[in-house]
Amino acid sequence: MIEVKNVSKKYGNFEAVKNISFEVGEGEIVGFLGPNGAGKSTTMNMITGFIEPSGGQIIVDGFDIDKKPKKAKKQIGYMPENVPLYNDLTVKEFIAYMADLKLVKRADKKAEIERVLNAANIKDVENKLIKNISRGYKQRVSLAGALVGNPKILILDEPTVGLDPKQVTEIRDLIRSLKENHTVILSSHILSEVSQMCNKIIIINEGEIVKIGTPEEIENQTSEGNHVSVVIEDENDKFESVVSRISSIKECKLDKKVNNSKYYELECDSNSDIRKDLFKECANEDIIIIEMKKKENSLEDAFLKLTKKEGGEN
Amino acid sequence: MFAILKKEFKNYFLTPIGYVFIGLFLVVVSLIFYNYTFSQHYINFEYILWDSIIVLTFITPVLTMRMFAEEKKSGTDILIMTSPRSIFSIVMGKFLAACSVILITIALFFIYFIILCFFGKPSIVVALVTSLGFFLLAMSYISFGMFASCLTESQIIAAIITIAFFLVISFLQSSVGILSMFSLVSMFQKFPLGVISLKEVVGYLSFSILFILLTIIILQRRKSVK
Repeated sequence: MIEVKNVSKKYGNFEAVKNISFEVGEGEIVGFLGPNGAGKSTTMNMITGFIEPSGGQIIVDGFDIDKKPKKAKKQIGYMPENVPLYNDLTVKEFIAYMADLKLVKRADKKAEIERVLNAANIKDVENKLIKNISRGYKQRVSLAGALVGNPKILILDEPTVGLDPKQVTEIRDLIRSLKENHTVILSSHILSEVSQMCNKIIIINEGEIVKIGTPEEIENQTSEGNHVSVVIEDENDKFESVVSRISSIKECKLDKKVNNSKYYELECDSNSDIRKDLFKECANEDIIIIEMKKKENSLEDAFLKLTKKEGGEN
Repeated sequence: MFAILKKEFKNYFLTPIGYVFIGLFLVVVSLIFYNYTFSQHYINFEYILWDSIIVLTFITPVLTMRMFAEEKKSGTDILIMTSPRSIFSIVMGKFLAACSVILITIALFFIYFIILCFFGKPSIVVALVTSLGFFLLAMSYISFGMFASCLTESQIIAAIITIAFFLVISFLQSSVGILSMFSLVSMFQKFPLGVISLKEVVGYLSFSILFILLTIIILQRRKSVK
């Protein structure tokens, strides 16, 4: 559906996007993940034809965005960052204008406007001026604008940014409902959002793709082994000997001591679960376990690890 | 092109801009009309238009300054530029919308013509020819105003560039040689005499086309440098 081949973008000497390539298949929901300034919006702006790449090729539904912009752009619905809208128009007028811009046939226009207003659930504000509606509604109006003309591809740049938790859930549900009929690319720096909604993740940092894969793949590939953290009260200092009796613990590290509680980090063999053994052994030695937790390999860790600057503290 | 024309034209009258433009114009023209007809007893419609072109110099930016500057500032340019519409049709849509406001203004001018008919027999031919000249001049002004608007995000700066440019080229009127050819105001001189001269018509049209093309080039180029 979308092919991005060796695309780069330079602003003077600064390279915002460095020679990236990826493909998006039909019906996929792809999440673009990266810290602020990583080049997510730049890449999206290039796919939608708003800016031209300095090098490389972008093919949308078989059409080169540079050579056949009209045909390629017709397949794309774009919800840009910061939801730009015409404040002097009413919601309905705005959608009607988008329908005109996107070459919706006059005969279908009325039905299409109704369809989009209902799909984005903004029918109740259709006659309000855009400047008078709330941020959550604006976000939905912008999404509705992208839906006009029923494009095959939807590109959503940070669709949930700046919303309250309830609105975020609403927008996410809305996007999920689009799965069936559209190929979706969305960008975000919120990991849980991407891992919930997408079946493919592209992690981008400093203009380069650092990883492409499903959420699970990325979590697994970047995992740092099997860790268990425990907080104990151990008055007789017997914990070290307990640890030495459990063979699958590779390393034991005392993190900190707060009053009587000791915080330990245990590194174990992969595929082993030491928690039961540890519990029993500690009980035998009268060590009180306050807290015990197996560390999950989260996308969060993967993301931080992948986007870490070499030698930097980021 | 028609979609953009329609929206832009509507926008002139959804916001106060269209009313401010037409209102200002009519106020000044009424004063000119009063001066010629009631103080000096002329019944020449063309004199009124002739004097009103100085007003045009100062209020054309009202129509043109927001064209691209506002879209760029509010980020809505991304909506039109990522639509399947070509840059040419976007530019022409906006240009023609502003020209339509001028046409309405000229139509309203003819109220004064009707009033003049009560006092004598003004020449309708001369009035129409002068209106054509006025329209061509306004079109040239709009094309430059639009060009200025696509250079910046600030409407104020766009307006200042536009007015400054018009003032500079109106001084060219008194200069000699090749420079005087670029004076839009001196090109107007023959129309109030009832003469449609090909040289002037072509002059205005080529000026307009030049700045429409420059606008398209700037917008096209912005895609690659942005």
